Amino acid sequence: MRKCIILFFSILIFFSCDKKNSNEINIYSKRHYQVDTEQYKNFERLTGIKVNFIKAGDDELLERLKNEGKNSPADLYVTVDAGKLQKGVEMGLFQQIKSDIIDNNVSNDLKDINGYWIPITYRARLLVYSNDRVNPSELSTYENLSDAKWKGRILVRSSSNAYNQALMSSLYANLGEKAVTEWSSKVVSNFARDPKGNDRDQVKAIAAGQGDIAIVNSYYIGLLLSSEKQADVDAANSVSVFFPNQGDDERGAHINISGFAMTKNAPNKENAIKLLEYLTGEEAQNTYMNNSYEYPANPRVKPSKIVQSWGEFKRDSLDLNALGLFREEAIKVFDNTGWK
Amino acid sequence: MKKTKLQDRVALFLFVLIFLPILFLLVKSFNQDTESLLYLFKNLLFDYSVNTLYLVLITSFFSLLIGIIPAWYVSNYRFVGRRIIDLILYLPLAIPTYIMAFTYSELLSYTGPFKITYDFLHIEVLGIILSFSLYPYIYSVSRISFSLFGSRYYDMAKNLGLNAYQTILKVVIPLSRPAILSGLFLVVMEVLNEYGAVKYFGVNTYTIGIFRSWNSMNDSGAAIQLSSILLFIVAFLFFIEKYLNKNKRFSFSKNTQLSSLIKPKSSVKFLIYVICLIPIILAFLTPVLFNLINIFSSYDDINFERLLNLTFNSFTVSLIASVLILIVSTFFLYNEKMSKSRVYYYINQFISLGYSIPGAVIALSVIIFITGIDNLYDSFSILGSFSIYFTILIYAYIIRFMAVGKSPIKSSMEKYPDSYNNSAKNLGLSNFKIFQKVYFPINKYAFFTAFTLVFVDIMKELPITLILRPFNFDTLATQTYEFAIEEMIPLSSIYSSVIIIICCILLIFLKMFLDKSNVFRN
Repeated sequence: MRKCIILFFSILIFFSCDKKNSNEINIYSKRHYQVDTEQYKNFERLTGIKVNFIKAGDDELLERLKNEGKNSPADLYVTVDAGKLQKGVEMGLFQQIKSDIIDNNVSNDLKDINGYWIPITYRARLLVYSNDRVNPSELSTYENLSDAKWKGRILVRSSSNAYNQALMSSLYANLGEKAVTEWSSKVVSNFARDPKGNDRDQVKAIAAGQGDIAIVNSYYIGLLLSSEKQADVDAANSVSVFFPNQGDDERGAHINISGFAMTKNAPNKENAIKLLEYLTGEEAQNTYMNNSYEYPANPRVKPSKIVQSWGEFKRDSLDLNALGLFREEAIKVFDNTGWK
Repeated sequence: MKKTKLQDRVALFLFVLIFLPILFLLVKSFNQDTESLLYLFKNLLFDYSVNTLYLVLITSFFSLLIGIIPAWYVSNYRFVGRRIIDLILYLPLAIPTYIMAFTYSELLSYTGPFKITYDFLHIEVLGIILSFSLYPYIYSVSRISFSLFGSRYYDMAKNLGLNAYQTILKVVIPLSRPAILSGLFLVVMEVLNEYGAVKYFGVNTYTIGIFRSWNSMNDSGAAIQLSSILLFIVAFLFFIEKYLNKNKRFSFSKNTQLSSLIKPKSSVKFLIYVICLIPIILAFLTPVLFNLINIFSSYDDINFERLLNLTFNSFTVSLIASVLILIVSTFFLYNEKMSKSRVYYYINQFISLGYSIPGAVIALSVIIFITGIDNLYDSFSILGSFSIYFTILIYAYIIRFMAVGKSPIKSSMEKYPDSYNNSAKNLGLSNFKIFQKVYFPINKYAFFTAFTLVFVDIMKELPITLILRPFNFDTLATQTYEFAIEEMIPLSSIYSSVIIIICCILLIFLKMFLDKSNVFRN
């Protein structure tokens, strides 16, 4: 038995000898977009620093980071939800990032007030409505979705989805438990069908006449409009985009960010900061905008033409950490009000 | 004191290695906070369990329907195209459930070719789609079982005045029950583990509950507890099934001569074609054609260098893990056979349990286990290298898919009486020699079956690969998935097609190999 154990560990030691190359960065990524690979390649060409990455679910990667502890090879963690970044901070996995360049690159209201994570892009969770069956003057706020006039007309995906959880967390933070529970149960009674599918399916369901308005992320409309499939473009053209809560005394539309955090024991800290400075800079931000339909974290950069055509909008100024802080309460609201 | 044999020590070591992460999971589930678990029990679990049960029932029903009936006709009737139909009926095994689900979601969608305005996202539709890729588990075991019946059973049924359908219901199915149940067990396990498709369809199953507690309620502890409960339920069912079938083992081949194939009347022939073509068209031709058309439409975007690279990666991990699983499972089963020790019997039951745990949870328990060892020493860490993550990935596959590799070898070994090894022992052969001279040759078809099934499963595997893979390591499955969840289905098609093609080639090889062995009558 002892021999076996010695053999086992010798193999492990043997295997562990091929690591460590100081001119690199290791990223754990929830994002799996083609544009990311392109950005990392551009960065490598520019600096000679190799970017390695693993793409998987954000909670799985947080768990991997937690268990790897200070031996983790990861330098950066990137995801598409400020709530998960806040969760990582709460788990004690990250360190603060200090860089004047990044500070200068990123819009102030998108920054983490505690300095743990860096936004690179953001998206709005907005409303789309049927051009045929809804008059835009009927629409106003998220709160208004509880109105009885929407009975059997609202489409949305399930409460297991992180984007819905973030939206509910923001409503919880803004309205409080009682109001948001009441709101949620009324919205559920207005559903056109049980929650299912992804965001694009909600748009298609409007086109198919299964409902009249849907709650979706902004960039999905851009993706449908730019699809090579004519049927997708037609579906997207049958709806219009509406930014809720835009009145003078209202708080603005709910947004969420894609953002990076640096691991507590990042072995390649300096390289990691260089990458973040690059990604928030104008060149890389333009690359993001040319390849996706998100909004830039850098205020000097403009989003894509399609996104610009929807006009400018007011962002909810809520501290984005609330999207993580109120996540559990949000889940309970979903469960208590029957939002599947 | 009697010195333990080398093989027993190796067996103990291997057993500990395979079972320890699962044990870690069980132990950990006891020292977790139970707040989230109680919350889930109170609010959601009933609903989730009902959905799970309903989905399992629908999928099982359709898998049995399109698995058993074609298997019956192919095994007993002679008709033109029988061999090719038989072959294609196995092939949906090569199509991962997520590709099947993506294909049908696209075809049934409003923006699909038929512009369907009906909302197809229903649990019943999901059950049918899942059965398309899972029925071959039933078909394959039924085929073997039906082919082994002696003509005496049929003659007797005829003499008792039973018609064809009564014969199937009263004689054939009861006699094939152990085989069909073992196939059904795999179908049920696959349904329990399904995550992507059930989430997309908005069907809240038990596995959704596991991920809800982990991802949404920030409680990986509750996820571990729920997985442990699932593990116990599955283990319980597993042992019940074992117990019920304890006295129901048949050695068909000894009974009588095999009956010859029946030449059907033309009305029956028509029925046979309809029954066999339904699964062929819906479960094989439709997804394959859909993928091929997509490849043509996105041909210019294909990166062949990357395709080659990912094919190599998928092939390598599948090959290494399948060979290792084959060696380890054979080692345990052979030891059980030779030593007749109850210890080996239990070891063999326990190491199969990995199959009942969702892939992502296996991955989690492996991470906890490996990093737990790694953190024992402050100054030294094994993490970070390509090869260590590669090894961990293979290790997790072994834990997860051991049951798949074990089952064909086990049923093959059970067919041969102990008198074989007694005679061999009397001839003075060592255990290794007996294996080499007796067991390997007579079980070689089972080894190849086991290898193919595991290989195909690992080619298709997703959750473990996503989370445990080394840096910059993609496989055909991960790439398919990444394109598909972004709804870039045309771009994902070339990668999914390569999975399908490689798995089909292996399955066709297997079928030809088995045909030669006369497992089936032709």
